[in-house]
Amino acid sequence: MADVVFERVTKIYPGANGVPAVNDLSLSVADGEFMVLVGPSGCGKTTALRMVAGLEEISDGTIAIGGTVMNNVLPKDRDIAMVFQNYALYPQMTVAQNMGFALKIRGVAKAEIAQRVGEAARILRLDEYLDRRPKALSGGQRQRVAMGRAIVREPQAFLMDEPLSNLDAQLRVEMRTEIARIQRLLGVATVYVTHDQTEAMTMGDRVAVLRGGLLQQVDTPQDLYDFPANEFVAGFIGSPPMNLILANLDEGQGVTRAHFGDQSLLIPEQYRSTHALAQWIGRQVVLGFRPEDLVADNSTTDDLLRARVDLREALGSEILAYLAITSNTDVVLDALPTSDAETVRKRSRVVARLSARTDVVEGSLITLGLTTDNLHFFDPNGGRSLRVLTS
Amino acid sequence: MAISALDLRRTPRRAGSRFRPTYSTSLLTRRRRRMGLVLTLPALVLITLLIVVPIGQAVYYSMTEWNGVTTTWIGPSAWTQAFHNPTMWRVLENNALLLLSVPFALGIPLCIAVLLHQKVAGWKIFRSIYFLPTAISWVVIGLVAEHFFAYSGTLNSMLDWLGFSHSHTNLLGNESTALIALGVTFIFSMIGTNTMLFLTGLATLDPSQEEAARIDGASSWKIFRHITIPHLTRFIQLAFVITIISAFSALFSLIFVMTGGGPGYSTTTMEFLVYQTGFAQAQFGTAALYGLILFIIMCVVGVFQLRLLGAKD
Amino acid sequence: MSTALVTPAHVATPPKLTPRQIRRRVARAVLLVVMILVAGVMLYPFVVMLVTSFKTESQYLIGRGSSLQSWKDLNQTLPIYQELLNSTIICSASIFIVLVVGGAAGFAFAKLQFRGSNVVFLTVVSAMMVPLQAILMPEFVNMAKLGLTTSYFGAVIVYAALGTPFSIFLFTTYFRRIPDELIEAGIVDGLGYTGVLTRLILPMALPAIATVTVLQFIQIWDDLLVGLLFLQNPSQRPITVGLAALAAGRTTSIPELLAGSLVSALPAMLVYLGFQRFLIQGLTMGIDR
Ligand SMILES: Nc1ncnc2c1ncn2[C@@H]1O[C@H](COP(=O)(O)OP(=O)(O)OP(=O)(O)O)[C@@H](O)[C@H]1O
Ligand SMILES: [Mg+2]
Repeated sequence: MADVVFERVTKIYPGANGVPAVNDLSLSVADGEFMVLVGPSGCGKTTALRMVAGLEEISDGTIAIGGTVMNNVLPKDRDIAMVFQNYALYPQMTVAQNMGFALKIRGVAKAEIAQRVGEAARILRLDEYLDRRPKALSGGQRQRVAMGRAIVREPQAFLMDEPLSNLDAQLRVEMRTEIARIQRLLGVATVYVTHDQTEAMTMGDRVAVLRGGLLQQVDTPQDLYDFPANEFVAGFIGSPPMNLILANLDEGQGVTRAHFGDQSLLIPEQYRSTHALAQWIGRQVVLGFRPEDLVADNSTTDDLLRARVDLREALGSEILAYLAITSNTDVVLDALPTSDAETVRKRSRVVARLSARTDVVEGSLITLGLTTDNLHFFDPNGGRSLRVLTS
Repeated sequence: MAISALDLRRTPRRAGSRFRPTYSTSLLTRRRRRMGLVLTLPALVLITLLIVVPIGQAVYYSMTEWNGVTTTWIGPSAWTQAFHNPTMWRVLENNALLLLSVPFALGIPLCIAVLLHQKVAGWKIFRSIYFLPTAISWVVIGLVAEHFFAYSGTLNSMLDWLGFSHSHTNLLGNESTALIALGVTFIFSMIGTNTMLFLTGLATLDPSQEEAARIDGASSWKIFRHITIPHLTRFIQLAFVITIISAFSALFSLIFVMTGGGPGYSTTTMEFLVYQTGFAQAQFGTAALYGLILFIIMCVVGVFQLRLLGAKD
Repeated sequence: MSTALVTPAHVATPPKLTPRQIRRRVARAVLLVVMILVAGVMLYPFVVMLVTSFKTESQYLIGRGSSLQSWKDLNQTLPIYQELLNSTIICSASIFIVLVVGGAAGFAFAKLQFRGSNVVFLTVVSAMMVPLQAILMPEFVNMAKLGLTTSYFGAVIVYAALGTPFSIFLFTTYFRRIPDELIEAGIVDGLGYTGVLTRLILPMALPAIATVTVLQFIQIWDDLLVGLLFLQNPSQRPITVGLAALAAGRTTSIPELLAGSLVSALPAMLVYLGFQRFLIQGLTMGIDR
């Protein structure tokens, strides 16, 4: 068992006109850690993973597994196991042969192969299917065979590329916990790629958020949620994502206020020390708050938010209300170029996660309470968090 | 409250160490390329030695006179001489006339494929029967055809039976009609292959499209003309190419057993002329030249076909 | 039956056919007749061979009677056992080469791209368009000079060279459909590219191998020109060549000739009937989707 360390790794595909698919990535996955790489489509997750596997060459930087730089080592000598999105099971082999193939190639004795395959099958609850061919298995079973093929190897690290994306929603939830359980059981360093932030949050010891080949932030799921390093991470993590609106900061009579449209918000005292707000007085910032910080009962909260309900989604346990918060910006928006107007409009839409019994009517105006304990501030240019680092 | 946001902490790279793309090829990539080369090499050698090099040699041969014993260099004028040779034009005329059979070699299989596609009870048995002649050698088909067209053959027996005893034919023995017999045999020989192609094409037709048209009140003919045929275009093109190629280069067996190219030159095609010139008359140079002319004609057909395909895409 | 007993009225008055249904039935009947007629035409060669082979020359001329004579004499006229054996040897050897050479190259073009592999692929595949007649003379001279026209080997490699381009095309098309991940899984599992080919790809390639085999078998078994020229030794003649040579001589009795034809056609017909599926697959490879 070992750790996996990316050291300023860059990948430029030939023919990509020098545009890197992975850009200067430094990341270290500790021994036994479950690291999730998450990000939107095309952000370079698969590329990063394939470089660890040795299936893609590294343009610059190094990748080390267990302290050994692997840049020029063949995949088979890296002692890693990989789970592919489409499972890539060998169609002509049975489940047992699929799982034992890597051991057979490595010349492991038959008895030991059988024993290890049996063990893996037990962990994965595949005992009954050992003699079937992949064709005769359900999607979930195939997925588990793919997992089994990885775990019998007892490798230095597991690499998994969206292993759950071909499963239906319910099975995905089931396998999510299953994979996490097995990984904890085996304690092998794991790099897990997904574009699904729920998977990332529920499975990872730590989560690395990528965007356009650049690492945005690496943190535990909770820290990622509570302290997003930039607007992108804030908008990517959480479902529904964080509300981000444009607001002007000003200061008067010793208090800081954020203005948006014809409303304003009192910024609690505490943010002065944790955020670099002083430089931003009189300027525009991106203000962020989570959907659950909006509450229907507006008598107990610090502040209020008036909005028009555009859309109401009842999920049974809760209601998602999609709101337009500023009534008079719409006029101004018409004067802006379309793309800018689009951005502003997006930044004046918010979502509220309300309790199921809230009375919300589409088209009506409502006043919600806003808890201001967890506000976020971002630079509107580039989206960096205005939080002051205290490490 | 430590935040480990890497992008915020990162020191900018020093200008000197500015990253340069290296495209260094990994060990695996090198192995892959080497294996790729190794695996293609035998094919490359085989095709080079037995197809590409002989084309070059043929060009050289075509400019010599070679009677099997002595070789004399003639040069490019061998080509101009060939173009003044009436035999070659006579033979090319046969090739051109044989092209008249192409519409039949496509049309008849198209009808048969549509028949089969109706899927009446037992259609699979019929399908097997219709395709069966594709399995047998054109030598065999030629043999049977010869006895069909012969003076005392089946064709004349049939005419007797129909009461046309006075109009006995001798298609193969007659200079003006032997080519017709050859063409008919050729059409028969192509039916299996082309039917197979069209039937595969029809199988990929989406039946719901046809149903929708039928509900809209389109007649069977309209459906065939405006849905089926356009859908089959690619298959018809492929069948067309295969048929033309066969007409130019696969008739050897038929000619060899049915007519030997005669009477006179009446059933000699370009490919048969190559054989005759080279092996009956031992004029290797001229034979090579004729072979190249055949090749050029087929290239022209190929390019023409590519243009057709290109125009459609 | 039992329903008829319970409701005898139903039997008495069969449901009236609408004019449309009647038209349909008539159309079906006409269709069937046409199909039977076509079947008659397509079966004609086989019927002629079969019927005629059971006649003597004179019986054939008067069109009556039957006899086993031509079957008894067949092996004297045409050494069928030797020639069937020759055909089998030549077919097997050429197909083996085509499969090995074409399969390997097809795999490389589909999955092991190297610099310039696409150009090489196009070159190789366009060799499909070269008719044998275009290179017949130099090919013959080369083989004769190397002394290969008096052994099976000359014909075998000519057949192999002629069959390889199409088989490469077919294998490449087939292998391109195998997902890259499967190969990568093998590599991560510890295979080299040789292992990938022999242990993963080969077992998966069986349908393509069958298709190439059937196509090549029918092609080579039925061919005349190569066998005629590149097998100068009569004892090495394949059956199709032997038959054509007899036919061209025009001295053999027709029933015997047709009995020989039947014998020569039988193996290809059996292969065809057994492996029809693969033949169709091969002919339409690349355009059926
Ligand atoms: N073989 C390749 N050649 C050239 N460019 C490539 C290649 N593979 C990927 N890319 C490009 O590199 C970028 C990153 O691709 P990658 O597959 O790593 O994304 P991803 O994060 O895995 O996306 P997804 O979630 O859609 O799987 C994309 O812009 C993609 O177009
Ligand atoms: Mg991906």
